[in-house]
Amino acid sequence: MIELEGPLGKSDAVNRELVSLERELSTLRKNAAIDPFGLYLYGLVLKEKGSDSLARTVLVEAVNSYPWNWNAWSELQSLCTTIDSLNSLNLNNHWMKDFFLASAYQELRMHNESLAKYENLLGTFGFSNYIQAEIAKARYSLREFEQVEAIFEELLRNDPYRVEDMDMYSNVLYAKECFSALSYLAHRVFMTDKYRPESCCIIGNYYSLKGQHEKSVMYFRRALKLNKNYLSAWTLMGHEFVEMKNIPAAVDAYRRAVDINSCDYRAWYGLGQTYEMMGMPFYALHYFRKSVFLQPNDSRLWIAMAQCYDTERLSMLEEAIKCYRRAANCNDREAIALHRLAKLHYELGRPEEAAFYYKKDMERMEAEEREGPNMVEALLYLATYYKAQKRFEEAEAYCTRLLDYTGPEKETAKSLLRGMRTAQSNIPSMDVEHLPP
Amino acid sequence: MAGIVKPPGAFAITPHKVSVCILLQIYAPSVQISLPFPFSSVAQHNRLGLFLLALTKSCDDILEPKLDELIRQLREVCGLLHDWFIDHLTSRLSSISSPDDLFNFFTDMRGILGGPESGVMEDDQVILDPSSNLGMFLRRCILAFNLLSFEGVCHLLTNIGHYCKEALSSCPSYEAACSEDSNSNLEALLEYENMDLENLVFEKVTEEIEARKSASETVPFHLHAPQTFFGLVEGHDLRRKIVEAALRDIEVLVDVKPKQGDKDREASSYVHPPNDTSRDFEPNCGIFLRSNWQIQGYLQEQADAIEKNGSCVSLNSFELILRRLHKLAPELHRVHFLRYLNSLCHDDYFAALENLHRYFDYSAGTEGIDIVPPASGCNNFGRYEIALLFLGMMHFRLGHPKQALEVLTEAVCVSQQQSNDTCLAFTLAAVCNMLSEIGVSSTSGILGSSFSPSTSIGISLSVQQQLFVLLRGSLKRAESLKLKRLVTSNRLAKAKFDLTHVQRPLLSFGPKASMKLKTCPINVCKELRLSSHLISEFGSESSTMTTDGAFSTVWLKNLQNPLGSVVSSQENGSGSNTNAFQFYAQPSSIPGSVLQLIGSSYLLRATAWEIYGSAPLARINALIYATCFTDALSSSDAALAYVKLIQHLAVFRGYKEAFAAIRIAEEKFLSVSKSRILLLKLQLLHEHNLHLGNLKLAQKVCDELGVLASSVTGVDMELKTEASLRHARTLLAANQFSEAAAVAHSLFCMCYKFNLQVENATVLLLLAEIHKRSGNAVLGLPYALASLSFCQSFNLDLLRASATLTLAELWLSLGSNHAKRALSLIHGAFPMILGHGGLELCARAYIAEAKCYLSDPSFSVFDNPEVVLDPLRQASIELQVLEYHELAAEAFYLMAIVFHKLGQFEEREEAAASFQKHMMALENPQQEQRFLFSI
Repeated sequence: MIELEGPLGKSDAVNRELVSLERELSTLRKNAAIDPFGLYLYGLVLKEKGSDSLARTVLVEAVNSYPWNWNAWSELQSLCTTIDSLNSLNLNNHWMKDFFLASAYQELRMHNESLAKYENLLGTFGFSNYIQAEIAKARYSLREFEQVEAIFEELLRNDPYRVEDMDMYSNVLYAKECFSALSYLAHRVFMTDKYRPESCCIIGNYYSLKGQHEKSVMYFRRALKLNKNYLSAWTLMGHEFVEMKNIPAAVDAYRRAVDINSCDYRAWYGLGQTYEMMGMPFYALHYFRKSVFLQPNDSRLWIAMAQCYDTERLSMLEEAIKCYRRAANCNDREAIALHRLAKLHYELGRPEEAAFYYKKDMERMEAEEREGPNMVEALLYLATYYKAQKRFEEAEAYCTRLLDYTGPEKETAKSLLRGMRTAQSNIPSMDVEHLPP
Repeated sequence: MAGIVKPPGAFAITPHKVSVCILLQIYAPSVQISLPFPFSSVAQHNRLGLFLLALTKSCDDILEPKLDELIRQLREVCGLLHDWFIDHLTSRLSSISSPDDLFNFFTDMRGILGGPESGVMEDDQVILDPSSNLGMFLRRCILAFNLLSFEGVCHLLTNIGHYCKEALSSCPSYEAACSEDSNSNLEALLEYENMDLENLVFEKVTEEIEARKSASETVPFHLHAPQTFFGLVEGHDLRRKIVEAALRDIEVLVDVKPKQGDKDREASSYVHPPNDTSRDFEPNCGIFLRSNWQIQGYLQEQADAIEKNGSCVSLNSFELILRRLHKLAPELHRVHFLRYLNSLCHDDYFAALENLHRYFDYSAGTEGIDIVPPASGCNNFGRYEIALLFLGMMHFRLGHPKQALEVLTEAVCVSQQQSNDTCLAFTLAAVCNMLSEIGVSSTSGILGSSFSPSTSIGISLSVQQQLFVLLRGSLKRAESLKLKRLVTSNRLAKAKFDLTHVQRPLLSFGPKASMKLKTCPINVCKELRLSSHLISEFGSESSTMTTDGAFSTVWLKNLQNPLGSVVSSQENGSGSNTNAFQFYAQPSSIPGSVLQLIGSSYLLRATAWEIYGSAPLARINALIYATCFTDALSSSDAALAYVKLIQHLAVFRGYKEAFAAIRIAEEKFLSVSKSRILLLKLQLLHEHNLHLGNLKLAQKVCDELGVLASSVTGVDMELKTEASLRHARTLLAANQFSEAAAVAHSLFCMCYKFNLQVENATVLLLLAEIHKRSGNAVLGLPYALASLSFCQSFNLDLLRASATLTLAELWLSLGSNHAKRALSLIHGAFPMILGHGGLELCARAYIAEAKCYLSDPSFSVFDNPEVVLDPLRQASIELQVLEYHELAAEAFYLMAIVFHKLGQFEEREEAAASFQKHMMALENPQQEQRFLFSI
């Protein structure tokens, strides 16, 4: 599909000199006859050899004695895969440390902490495009698209020829379906440098938005030819293949993304979705589990997982309820979770829980001023529920609200009301038909 | 597993292929002579042909050899003519200097292909048949060249330039070797030996070694180095590791060689001794090139090894090899599958899950089990249902039956959707296998409606009935799809089912008179017999995909042997027998999986006879398995056969011999984890301790046995039943009747719940025994009768005899007026007991018989003392072999009383002394411990 490196992978050449290099550098270090750059080199050798903890110590020494070597910092960051290992580093106080921490937090998906650090840094380095872009990245991960867009607009004003990170801007524009802005951006980066993977990715995004998936795939391919470890291109290409119903290719693309960086929750999610589409919900669960582990605050992932459990074939309803509850707790934008929760509880014969969730769902819809079949369903259920509970006042209130809607529910509400009246008093009920509609 | 078939687009023209084309041109020039110019004999010509065949076969190599390697091979293969060949090759290559030259070259190449119209074959003309192997290769090259764009042609041209230049730069060695080879035959011989190991393992010998070679006249011969030696080498070089593993068998071959002749012995003295550390360890010196097929073959071999005996492959080291292999060849997805297998057989759930998903994500299920491409041609979709099948089997193997069932249900649905009948058949077989292996207690809601047609009628079936329906359906499906192996394994499953299940009509209405509540041994026999027809039918199995990779390696290996022998005979100066070219056919045409199935049919036969109670037949079948199949098969099955034989030994010959046999078996199956041998040892120890009266130790052993079972409900049922059965028996031996009864009762409930009917019979018999021992013979009778009827309906003849014996004992203990009835019962069971029963059962029967006579009021000892004494003597002998103190004491006690009655005081004293000895031993079990602990 994509031209990977030669079959034997030339980049994986084995460095046979590592041992001797390590020997030499370690004696130098022992004799304290080594400068910070030598230490950095030593750290690289150690990392390559796989002795991570020693590499970490050496790199810390290197950055402590010469903090302005960003490469040393980034090597150090690649060795800190957990928050514990990050906290255990013994670093001197220096402003470079803040850059390092901010970037490391980002990598560890602690976006809020990272954002705080960067905003702090922006106070000192007010005109840094880098910090601006990093802030955009953090906000993007927090799904605050409006701010991201604003930041990028400003970035482009300051640096009209910038290509780095513009693929993220294009993702935002894609999500917001801004056709013209995206095409403008695509044209702009194309004029600047069309042979950058970012440029190709942006063009791919544009075609994808236009619904021309073949062309879009072509550009993602080009991006990957330029940089085969370009994570988001693999994932985006996977999405395109899903659109084109080319399942094996999609799975392959997602899988490559995951193998490049196993923390890419989007690719895991894509894999899960693909398998779910094929009618393999149980198989898909494995992937959804991975993605929610990486991004536990994303309601979409929880809902996807819940829907797997909720399928007719599996119908593991208890598990589905748990997932929906998680989704409802993390600000479910599409408001699927509450409704499904109410329904599931109803189906499982738990009227109280069902009423609770219907009520919550209704409150939500009221707050967002949404109407629709869900609203009718909630009202109807609540009316019957309260009637059964003999709380006629509430029941009546819901029934009267139902009367605002057309359809069979209106009649049901009428008969409910009538029933309640007769139950409340022995006096024959008022003629409800005469009430204003 | 099939090889990865590269898409046709992947065939790119390279400088190496151009060289091969040049050689092809030499081999078959388009002129009409019987023997083209440089060749002096047909044999020489043929040898080049074979060499070319090997080259083209490996044209899908992962890495192609460089020019100097090709030259070296040419030198080795083509003997005297090599100078001419090499000259021709290099000059032809270096004459290509413009794109136009390339175009002309390939136009020329087209000329040497015989056209389809050249029907008139002249005998003396060498024509390359376009559909032959070489012809195909040539056509592919030409096609690939034609597809190149102009830029591509330019690239090829530069590449050829590099290719030639590289060869020339490493020429010192080449020239040195050239000048040398006329005077050093020995060295050539050694090289042949190397080549002989594996012709396509090309060594890249560095110049340094070359220099050393000429200086000291020794040749590095790494293949001789033992494993530790390789371990010393920096771990960087994966390929060497692979070679090391793959060549392990060939190493043997090398070790055998030196006895061939003086010359060889001389040669072998040049081999470096393993402790010679002077050999430099530059990782460079051992780089071997391996073709795609060879790697596939290696992976195949390893997969077989894992299947055969998983625990002999070390988890970490193999994982390391695989990881490196993956790093070097990232597109070789099969590696992930091997990683999955490796972690699976070491019970690493997470790694197995991860690798399984990764493998199927990459391969989309399009490689693997013998797949018939779908008729509809909807290849677009991938075959992910196979992934589900594998995932289900993995869950099952790791003891998650619920998940496994869930996944397999999904697999059934998806394969139905995709109309992948093969996968459906396999999935159904897997479901059957699982249902019969694990006890699924709750009936409904586990299997979806898609499984059985009967559920649509609205009748809920028990798991057993569902299993039966499934088995039949799956067998029918497999037969119609002509999946022979699957048919056989289905037949075996069916036999297993018939063995332990009473057939009832599926629907519970209709004439009940036809119901025959018995298992059908005839059906079992029929299925077993049919299953072994596989071997004869196997020839027609269309499994080319499966064996291709393996075949390729075998083919290459076979190619080596004749080449080597011919060359060395030439060295001996007799150039006349160079025509001795011959290809060996593939050595064994029956794949391991088939053998395995046949073998397990024998094993199942042994089990069937064991259950039906025919000791000799069970033993014979186990013996057949152990002698004929062990080499080819999984070692856990082989261990099972040994276990059966040893059990037999223990029952019929006593524990001493059995323990001796165990020691042998333990050595043989040292590496088998979760071993059946360990289980057997515990069983025998328990039994032995029980007999010796060493109850504390017996209980300890019994507890250990229980710990071996998995804690998940419904898994390892056999083991759990066994452990609690033994627990009850220990309690019984300790005279704790109510506890024993409680344990036995709960065991009965469990067996009933999981439908373990055969075990039920045993448990009922045990309950009868408990009541007998506690003195409640009246309570014991119904249990004994129930057990008897179970035995009858399952055809458990031996167990039935033993139940009859217990029944007789119960009658006897009800009073002397029932002695006649008891005696007739015993006599009825005697043929079975004496013919097939073990020592213990026989002894018990003898003692019971004697007791019957003695308690019969109408019987007088004085009339016919031998009627009593003879069985008692027999029993005492057998019990002494068995070291069963309690019963032996009883026998001697009875003997002593009889002798006393008869007035034979000397014999009485003797019997009494024996009685005392056994009683002492029973009360003081510590004396025997020494022996036991030495085991």
